[in-house]
Amino acid sequence: MNSVGEACTDMKREYDQCFNRWFAENFLKGDQGGDPCTESFKRYQRCVQTAIKEKDIPVDGVEFMGPNKDKPES
Amino acid sequence: MKIWSTEHVFSYPWETVIKAAMRKYPNPMNPNVVGVDVLDRSLDAEGRLHSHRLLSTEWGLPGIVRAILGTNHTQTYVQEHSIVDPEKKKMELCSTNITLTNLISVDERLLYRPHPDNPDLTILTQEAIITVKGLSLGSYLEGMMAMRMSANAIKGWDAIEWIIKNSERENVPLCDIY
Repeated sequence: MNSVGEACTDMKREYDQCFNRWFAENFLKGDQGGDPCTESFKRYQRCVQTAIKEKDIPVDGVEFMGPNKDKPES
Repeated sequence: MKIWSTEHVFSYPWETVIKAAMRKYPNPMNPNVVGVDVLDRSLDAEGRLHSHRLLSTEWGLPGIVRAILGTNHTQTYVQEHSIVDPEKKKMELCSTNITLTNLISVDERLLYRPHPDNPDLTILTQEAIITVKGLSLGSYLEGMMAMRMSANAIKGWDAIEWIIKNSERENVPLCDIY
């Protein structure tokens, strides 16, 4: 599966693999300590937030600057 | 406004179903979903996992349709918030479209729980509120959307089953002669 930002796909896959493993082996078994994915998530997030701003995707909670702010919703 | 709801039972226990639900895309039944990103993820004070995700969907709308809709974009976006409660065994997902919002609003809620009569099964309740805005054919189009959602819901259930079956195959050893 790709990321919304083409450049982020590899980072997304690395994070997803880490998360899916933690989710199945730790979280669902009652062990919520020590998230091993924080570093890969940070890298991935930086990329995704940039892509969202570049593509002007109206995500809740993402700040938009510039002349496009008032354009009609697409 | 159109309200649509349905229920489906999976022949797998809850943990198996939600592991698949978390990894639902890509799958052959939902080829229109072309991108999934996690925007945020955290545990709350009750130990529940919250995830905010962005889904990109590509419908391959012909140019003339896009011109009528007044959009140059070929992809539509959906924002989803999910909560997994591992103690109460509940997974809830709420999603809404964040593009084409001047035309239509589709709010969907899915809830996965163990079946009350049989813990080896999982029950999914799915409901949606569809509102078409500003058009005199509003209620007709809402009806069409509801039919489309029913068809897509069935694809969604097949997708979960497909993910589960493909994961099961990964765990079967090729040879048991050791």
